[in-house]
Amino acid sequence: MSAQGILITAFAGAGLSYALGLTSARLREVFAIVVSVLLVCLIAITHGQGAEHVYYPDFLGLDLVLRMDALAWFFAITVSMVGCLSVIFSLHYVRGKEKENFYYFALLLVNAAMLGIVLSGDLLSFFIFWEIMSWAAFLLISYKRGRALDAGLKYVIMSILGSCAMLLALLYLYANYNTLVISDLAQQIRSAAGGFPLWVMLAFALGFGIKCALIPLHTWLPDAHSEAPSPFSAVLSGILIKMGIYGFILVMYGVVGLKLLLEVGAPWLHFHTVLCWLGAITILIPTFIALLQDDAKRLLAWSSIGQIGYIMLAIGVATSLGLAGALFHTLNHAVFKALLFLAVGAVEYKTGGVRDLNRLGGLIRRMPVTFACALIGGLGLIGVPLTSGFVSKWLIYKTLITEGHPFLALAALVGTWGAILYVYKLLHNMFLGQLPEKYANLEAAPFSMQLPLMICGFIIVLFGILPGIPLSVIGGIVGTLGFEPVTATLTGFGPQIGPLNTLNLCAAFAGVLLVIVAFRGIAARPKPVSQDDSYAAGAAAPAGKYHHTVRFYDPLERMTGGYLRDWVDQFYLSAAGKAKGVFNGVRRIYTGDVRTYVMYIVALLTFLIFAHTAGWL
Amino acid sequence: MNFLTSYIHYVGCFALVLIGLYVALVKSNLIKVIIGINLIDTGVNLFLVATGYLGGGTAPIFSKAAEQSQEMVDPVPQALVLTAIVIGVSVLALALALAIKVYDHNGTLDLRKLKGLKW
Amino acid sequence: MVSPILLIAVPLALAFLTPMVGLASKSARRYMPAIAMLFNFIVAMSLLPKALEAPIIVRTAGWAPPLSIHLVAGPLGLLLSSLVALIGLLVAIYGIDYIREGARARYDVLYTLLLVGATGVVLTGDLFNLFVFFEVLCISSYALVAYRGDSAGVEAGMKYLIQGAIGSSLVLIGIGLLYGTVGTLSMADIASSVGSVAGSRLFISLAFMIAGFGVEAAIFPLNAWLPDAHSSAPSSISAVLSGVAIKAGLYAIARVVYTVYGASSILPFLAVLGVVTLLVGEMCAFAQEDIKRLLAFSSIGQMGLILFALALSSATGISGAVFLIISHGLAKALLFLATGYMIYRTGSRDISSLAGMGKRMPIMSLCFTVGAFSLMGLPPFVGFASKFTIVRAVLGTGSTFFITLLAIGLIGTVIEGAYFLRIVQWLYFKPAPEAMPEQTEGRAPLTALVPVGLLAVLIVTIGLLPGIVGRALGPAADDLLDRAAYIQHVMGD
Repeated sequence: MSAQGILITAFAGAGLSYALGLTSARLREVFAIVVSVLLVCLIAITHGQGAEHVYYPDFLGLDLVLRMDALAWFFAITVSMVGCLSVIFSLHYVRGKEKENFYYFALLLVNAAMLGIVLSGDLLSFFIFWEIMSWAAFLLISYKRGRALDAGLKYVIMSILGSCAMLLALLYLYANYNTLVISDLAQQIRSAAGGFPLWVMLAFALGFGIKCALIPLHTWLPDAHSEAPSPFSAVLSGILIKMGIYGFILVMYGVVGLKLLLEVGAPWLHFHTVLCWLGAITILIPTFIALLQDDAKRLLAWSSIGQIGYIMLAIGVATSLGLAGALFHTLNHAVFKALLFLAVGAVEYKTGGVRDLNRLGGLIRRMPVTFACALIGGLGLIGVPLTSGFVSKWLIYKTLITEGHPFLALAALVGTWGAILYVYKLLHNMFLGQLPEKYANLEAAPFSMQLPLMICGFIIVLFGILPGIPLSVIGGIVGTLGFEPVTATLTGFGPQIGPLNTLNLCAAFAGVLLVIVAFRGIAARPKPVSQDDSYAAGAAAPAGKYHHTVRFYDPLERMTGGYLRDWVDQFYLSAAGKAKGVFNGVRRIYTGDVRTYVMYIVALLTFLIFAHTAGWL
Repeated sequence: MNFLTSYIHYVGCFALVLIGLYVALVKSNLIKVIIGINLIDTGVNLFLVATGYLGGGTAPIFSKAAEQSQEMVDPVPQALVLTAIVIGVSVLALALALAIKVYDHNGTLDLRKLKGLKW
Repeated sequence: MVSPILLIAVPLALAFLTPMVGLASKSARRYMPAIAMLFNFIVAMSLLPKALEAPIIVRTAGWAPPLSIHLVAGPLGLLLSSLVALIGLLVAIYGIDYIREGARARYDVLYTLLLVGATGVVLTGDLFNLFVFFEVLCISSYALVAYRGDSAGVEAGMKYLIQGAIGSSLVLIGIGLLYGTVGTLSMADIASSVGSVAGSRLFISLAFMIAGFGVEAAIFPLNAWLPDAHSSAPSSISAVLSGVAIKAGLYAIARVVYTVYGASSILPFLAVLGVVTLLVGEMCAFAQEDIKRLLAFSSIGQMGLILFALALSSATGISGAVFLIISHGLAKALLFLATGYMIYRTGSRDISSLAGMGKRMPIMSLCFTVGAFSLMGLPPFVGFASKFTIVRAVLGTGSTFFITLLAIGLIGTVIEGAYFLRIVQWLYFKPAPEAMPEQTEGRAPLTALVPVGLLAVLIVTIGLLPGIVGRALGPAADDLLDRAAYIQHVMGD
């Protein structure tokens, strides 16, 4: 199955699902799922193929090309998988809400456009699909109305800004190399004399950085992620922002190439070094901001920015291990962030739209499966051994240390500590502690919501125990991008990279587990008591007082809250306010008095003649 | 002085145009502004005729006089001016019609007060 | 073979026949503009392939150029007159039921005359003839703006007239100066003799013409009439004014600057002016609450971009400009037409009154969205293809000056995205007010849905297959750029 077939299926699926929805809602749901699953299968069977073909000759004088290679396949399978899971999750989530047709259409369209991005063989089709993704995502972010409208506008304005920069950059390449086909372009750039201009790289970085929420271009993300419908938040955070990562990898290593890239920038400050440090900042600040969030989805959104920091850091290091870590972490983050957003979505769905961590708690008893899956996702996010997050973070730490970047490694470590804290806050405030009475009779989420969670959880554990499965693909990609290929066994790495064997870890964990079980057998049985049965200075404390989830990390907030505001966002907003003032001022030139207008005409004429006599024209 | 005498027709036309522009720019009464526009029009028409003017030339008509005379003025600008006059008149008529309507709606012809549409 | 002169003669005849047809049958009269434009569209399209090879020269009264007034139906002229006819046709169909108040007979006559004027402007090869057609266009649009006779319309029409009349006088002065210098009015003849004349006199006449045509072309700062006129006129008129009339002004400037004068020294100035126009237009549009005024300011912005692209003086740049003329014509006509019935429906031009329109008028809203996306230059709509061509042309020049200007101009695109997408949000994501004044006559009839739908289909189709018009763009650009060929075609050997 060629890339073309995949794209036709994806786009036609989006259109047809809308058409079918006009006749029957049930048919549309079934069809949407069939298309999504079909896409996963179609992409899966193209594994290992490499092809490049023109699918649209002479679009404005340019050939549009699709290609399938290892990098494209890796991203395509991630996109289609997360997309498929979010469609399955959507079944119950949007059922009975308004504009269902539109919702499925836009969701499938975003997924199709993302497939288009990664399967593009030239930068023009890349850009076209990129734009389609941007506006379709805008429509979905705005879907929930209210505050979502502002979030959508913020997203789309930044997005257009990035697209403009990207358009300038890619047309600069076209003007100089007369082609936009990635393989030709790469060849020509590498064989051309002289370096790669910094401004072009920066323009690309602006476009991609906005999409993947690199600080200081991140401000759209917390709003958009928290206001979008939850299945789409999963798509946004899981794969849409990864398109920025894909863009970075493609341009930096696929087009410009390692050798030239290392020289982009001033001799004393290289582009990729700046990227590393931006990545480190992007790990640190959002992690601490995430700690202070009370909105579950906002917390996850900030966490997403932090995880993007890891990936950018790993990309910027420009080593074989770093790139492998970045790619693996991209995959992992897609899976566990999708899982967490979907889990929050399930809770939100059952509780009637409550995402406020202060008002939830104790749901473990009502939604055990959701909790178990969210726990696995959270552990993966932290990077606990035997989850896939461990392996990718291990790769990133390893390369930072061996390359001699102690401060960057420290930033990455601090980010992980922060992750432990906020994941704990999230899981505890939603699932542990006391169950509020109004949720006492809550039922578990429907199966169509649990299934995606379970699949994600399964993948996290599977890739954590057998990291060789994804690493064999990733190792190949790293090889095609001009690095030394990363070799991996099924359970770890070969000796030339470093000893990591997950089987040993498994054994260790199993041993510890055995010890715990053994001690539990020996130790005295705990006696369960009522929650009210505790000493409270002689008076029985009311049950509500035991709700420990309110104002979590309050001392931390008092200490750091003053500093950890989103200064960048405030700066942008005030700039936007100023701009609005300027726009309103500009409007005043149209005074309404026709004589002023006549004066303008005379003034232009006089200026022209004056400019001529002065010799300017 | 020499310039003035040899180009007096051009100076006259542009003086008319400038007077018209002045009226359109400064006067606040709509009717006066329309008159100003008409002055510009007249100035321009005069200018067009003047470009084709030749001292001592006859009318560009094939007649006895034309055969005797050596010089004829250029006929093209005269044709242009005829057209331009027609256009000018129609614009003027439309402007006056609109002025009546404006007065009907607003009860004033003061351009300073006609600022319903702005910004 | 049909002659291009029919493109002017037949609609002109039909325009003046319209009142007489009205004597016979009032309902038949309403179809006259549509018939005239359908004829024009068919003729223009049938002539286009031939004109792409070589311009068709039409001599009047048997005199060879430069002695007589002649038409030069080149690739650019015929492409634009096809566009005029197409938009004219669709808007005429829309107008059949849309126009309800005012003197219907005058509307039909003036409407046809306006389009005749626009067609004449793009086809003529004679400078004074250009002015005459330009005046036909202008006078009918003054009248059409004020045609409803309401307070805002009359005020806008009056202001438009004052500015337009002064602009026309400037053009006439420019033509007079030029004629006094070179002694001919045929554009090709002037072009061939301009090289031998000293610069200063020529430049002053050029300055007059730019300032004069600039009023109609809505160049900053000459565009103050446009938001008033476009917002106060009936929507069908706004659609042709925005889709066709202002393009005629811009065409006149381009023709004069490139073909007649070959004045490359003024192009950087025009490029700056274009970017300023773009920015001012978009900034002013941003804060508008009146939907039609917003669309009008957005037109100003797009005109700025077209002017900027025209000033690039490269084949790709001018192709991009012509492409943007087409795509903006289609999209803006669509937006005004779709807005027309939305305004009938709610009785208000406030953007906030569009809330929930996606549910109440789904087809109109969908088409509006398509048009807005196309204007912003989002793929896969036609606006993307045209803006892409322009950006490519700018980067292709390799000049830092133009690239910097473009980068500044792209800020305008961001602003544009902000306000258009805000409207899309109003259409689809804001709940409709509870008790809304439901005007039953606001329901869009078939005569409105068909043109709007067709425009949307065209926008998507050309966006997906830009080759449809792409083939004509290259020759159209050469038509402007290649003076020698133009002179040779018109004057013979």
